Amino acid sequence: MTTLIEGCDEIVKDFLVESYENLDQLDQDLVALEQDPGNREILASVFRTIHTIKGTCGFLDFGKLEKVAHVGENLLSKLRDGELELDANRTSALLTMIDAIRSMLSHIEDDGSEGDADYGNLIDLLTNLQQTGSGPEAAGTAPGRAPDRDVEDVAQDAKRSAETAQAGGDGTLGSAETTTTTAQAADTPQDSAKQTKDTVQAADTPQDSAKKTMATAQAAETSGTVLSPAPSPTASSLTESTIRVDVDHLDRLMNLVGELVLARNQILQFTSKEEDAAFVATSQHLNMITTELQEGVMKTRMQPIGNVWNKLPRVVRDLARSCGKDVKIIMEGKETELDKTIIEAIRDPLTHLVRNSVDHGIEIPEERQALGKAHEGTLLLRAFHEGGQVNIEITDDGGGISTEVLKKKALERSIITTEQAARMSERELLNLIFAPGFSTAKKVTKVSGRGVGMDVVRTNIEKIGGSIDLQSKEGSGTTIRIKIPLTLAIIPALIVTDSGDRFAIPQVNLLELVRLEAEQIETSIEDINGSPVYRLRGNLLPLVFLNKELKMQAAESSAAGSSAVSIVVLQADEQQFGLIVDEINDTEEIVVKPLGTQIKDLDTFAGATIMGDGKIALILDVMGLAQRAGIIGELSSHGIGEHKEQASTGSDQRRTLLVFSIGDDRRMAIPLDLVARLEEFPISSVEVAGDREVVQYRGEIMPLVRLSRFFNTNPDETEQLQVVVYSHMSRSIGFVVEEIIDIVEERITVTIDPDEQMGLDGAAVVQEKVTDLLDVDAVVGAAAPEALEPAATAEAEA
Amino acid sequence: MLEERQFCTFLVADLFLGIPVSAVQEVIRYHEMTRVPLADRTITGLINLRGQIVTAVDLRQRLGLEDRAPESLPMNVVIRTDDGAVSLLVDEIGDVLEVEERDFEPPLETLGGKVRELVRGVFKLETGLLLILDEEKAANVSSTQSEAMELVRETI
Amino acid sequence: MHALVIDDSRAVRRILRGFLVDLGYEVVEAGDGEEALRELKLSTTPVDVALVDWNMPKMSGLEFVKAVRANAQWDRLVLMMVTTETEIEKVAAALDAGANEYVMKPFTKDIIREKLELLTSSPV
Repeated sequence: MTTLIEGCDEIVKDFLVESYENLDQLDQDLVALEQDPGNREILASVFRTIHTIKGTCGFLDFGKLEKVAHVGENLLSKLRDGELELDANRTSALLTMIDAIRSMLSHIEDDGSEGDADYGNLIDLLTNLQQTGSGPEAAGTAPGRAPDRDVEDVAQDAKRSAETAQAGGDGTLGSAETTTTTAQAADTPQDSAKQTKDTVQAADTPQDSAKKTMATAQAAETSGTVLSPAPSPTASSLTESTIRVDVDHLDRLMNLVGELVLARNQILQFTSKEEDAAFVATSQHLNMITTELQEGVMKTRMQPIGNVWNKLPRVVRDLARSCGKDVKIIMEGKETELDKTIIEAIRDPLTHLVRNSVDHGIEIPEERQALGKAHEGTLLLRAFHEGGQVNIEITDDGGGISTEVLKKKALERSIITTEQAARMSERELLNLIFAPGFSTAKKVTKVSGRGVGMDVVRTNIEKIGGSIDLQSKEGSGTTIRIKIPLTLAIIPALIVTDSGDRFAIPQVNLLELVRLEAEQIETSIEDINGSPVYRLRGNLLPLVFLNKELKMQAAESSAAGSSAVSIVVLQADEQQFGLIVDEINDTEEIVVKPLGTQIKDLDTFAGATIMGDGKIALILDVMGLAQRAGIIGELSSHGIGEHKEQASTGSDQRRTLLVFSIGDDRRMAIPLDLVARLEEFPISSVEVAGDREVVQYRGEIMPLVRLSRFFNTNPDETEQLQVVVYSHMSRSIGFVVEEIIDIVEERITVTIDPDEQMGLDGAAVVQEKVTDLLDVDAVVGAAAPEALEPAATAEAEA
Repeated sequence: MLEERQFCTFLVADLFLGIPVSAVQEVIRYHEMTRVPLADRTITGLINLRGQIVTAVDLRQRLGLEDRAPESLPMNVVIRTDDGAVSLLVDEIGDVLEVEERDFEPPLETLGGKVRELVRGVFKLETGLLLILDEEKAANVSSTQSEAMELVRETI
Repeated sequence: MHALVIDDSRAVRRILRGFLVDLGYEVVEAGDGEEALRELKLSTTPVDVALVDWNMPKMSGLEFVKAVRANAQWDRLVLMMVTTETEIEKVAAALDAGANEYVMKPFTKDIIREKLELLTSSPV
């Protein structure tokens, strides 16, 4: 192949990557355009993509591709300039053109050639479509039938050649990127066990994995993390503040960070017994660096859910057309980010659900109109973060699901018994749809009848620690709600001890902790209908004894009711319950490790983790535990289910606080989310600038505010200053405290004293001691007002 | 027929057992274990093997033999399976033996229940019988049914 | 000599970079007009020539030319439009606005060399 340039391989690779990226966007743009044909902005962007492809082809000597892109560009330029209007035929032709371009790109990727397919028909069609001078009607009316058929024919042609291209081979963009598969997702719990195998499972064809790499690169680009090829050595690179990174590297990094977190936890364990101040300080430092590193690496792996959604408008459009339906797709929260392994895991289930909604949910236009609905159905995709999880909702305004039909079918197939059916709630009936081997389709269509049922969807969602729920109203539509964790690898968890063993409880399920002293146990645990309950602020909380549920015998006789116990208040589904354990240890970031097949089926455990001392703790599956204890499903019919916590009122809030003292044993707290870091500075490092004490900190001058002076307590004369660093608008300020006491997560009731000292935000009982709440803004405003001004340098960067 | 010639041998109660050397990842001494509540009774616990969590299956339980004396600590024969490493708990480790194919025989009729189920065959050696354990089968334990079984046992 | 390549396509930037590096230029890249203006402002060494794509997101090539010519400190910056035959008639507007030259895709290294030699009146 002769081209005008040297170093062609790299350029072709770039060309392929960016063309694929742009084409993915194009699919979506064209579908959006069909709704809003006059949108010049989108038209200009569509034009630009094709234009760029065409322009670059010239350099690379891809004549056929150039020709197709060229006629497409001409059509698009007329559309952009308003000379022609975009109608269904033109959209279809342009989509066919995109498929053709994709197919050629895929050939180029495989063997460097554009393939043998002939695009003469497509070129003619695209040319014809720009010559129908009288506008959109011309294509639809008299000569309209012809182009109409053309569109179909050409689409067939294109599809055939696309298929040939797919079958053509397994070539990839480059060997570096093929290796992705091997280390892919090695950090997901499910997969890391398999890592030890000598033979690595090839999960994907190399081609797939190359495409995945591109998709990832695209995601990274959108979120602004990763970019551009490496600059050639002779050129300076002012613009290239970003680089493209192999996903493989990120996976490896993530694994290493997981190991580092474990090692850090172990070191912290030693530190607690250590008195050497320098060692303690160093391990604190290590602690914070590890946390930051972990967050940093996690961030590089986050991708917007839009990456998965991007394909859906096209899927919906094609499917709707083939079933003779009109469906509009609306997406909210595209930018919601998820770990890449989760993105991969939900791709297929999501696509399946969306297809299902179009295929079975939304009615054909005539039927809709007869029902008084808009002829066009709406499919709404929403994603949002909530409580450390990601919620994804798929809502259609279609026919909904009939629980009667479901019930009948479930009975027919012996999925449930008549008695069960009678007892089941509406919601339970609806969720039968996820039962193995259940399908509501009147007939198996070629679309969603691919042998994949809703049970597979549910299994796949649950495999990644998620849950799926369905709500439907017959006649007006269905909503499917999926909840999934942000990441699988490392989660915050509460460590508890029971019967001599430690267990980890994922923090997402945790609501609050209640401690019962030995003498309280008798009086506060009541018995209702043979089930133990605890009265929590007037509500009855069903109780579950961990040792009973897990049939554990105490290792020592300590838990024989003679000593205090703790109630861990947990949320499972919509239901709250209290888990009684012997002891609460603390909260920790844990690395989730999978369980072997021998015990994977135990739904009370979600995995295991290695603790700081090298021992293993099982991770409780709160849902599984609640189901086992009969908390979910059965209790709601007992009428005890009605104790959902009211939205907390302003003064009664659950907060994570940093508790410290400032001299005279005065306890104070500030919300942990205001704390950037905890630092220690030797008194000798403090300098005086003007009337203010400052220290050099991360290349900047950080003003210090001594809280003991501010609140007139006895000064804390120590060699080492304990400093709580607060950051605002890229500026930091350090509060000097006497001692850091603890980080606690408690539901606190704030009382405000009218004569309160300036700089306080009220007081609360924290860990059973009166604790003042620091009003950070007031203190900074009074003691170091300039610290809140935005830094000049920070602004220039932003 | 067995392709393997080299076997890692060990003792479980009075049985002399072997598994192909190629299936063995490593052999380690007694290791502290974390018990798994509700798991099948053949599962003794979980082992932290250099950061990897490995399930330990007690071969005495698995083969339906009497419990090990509480003061004697089992050894771990860690094997590779399709689903990751699994540790088989044994009483004592023997040598790696090289055997002749012609000495191989299918499981003896006299072998009882569980043992017969998990043994692929027998090598008649001068020193006695070497039972070849089907290590994949031995490691293939599921915990879902165990509770029901447990209930049945309790009610009987 | 310093050149600034402004194009939203990475592949095209890489092609142009290849040409220019061979011709002895130090090359800086920008993905759109806004980024290019930022480069010009922040660059410590003056940029001698900018190759400007016509069709870019955010700020079009024409807008970029206007913005550069509105600022006297960049009087000596040579602006070369990179375009295709589809838009050739529009390039006139850019030349009117102060662009010095245009080049049509696809082009060769020699074409670029000739044009640059003329414009910078120094052999490269």
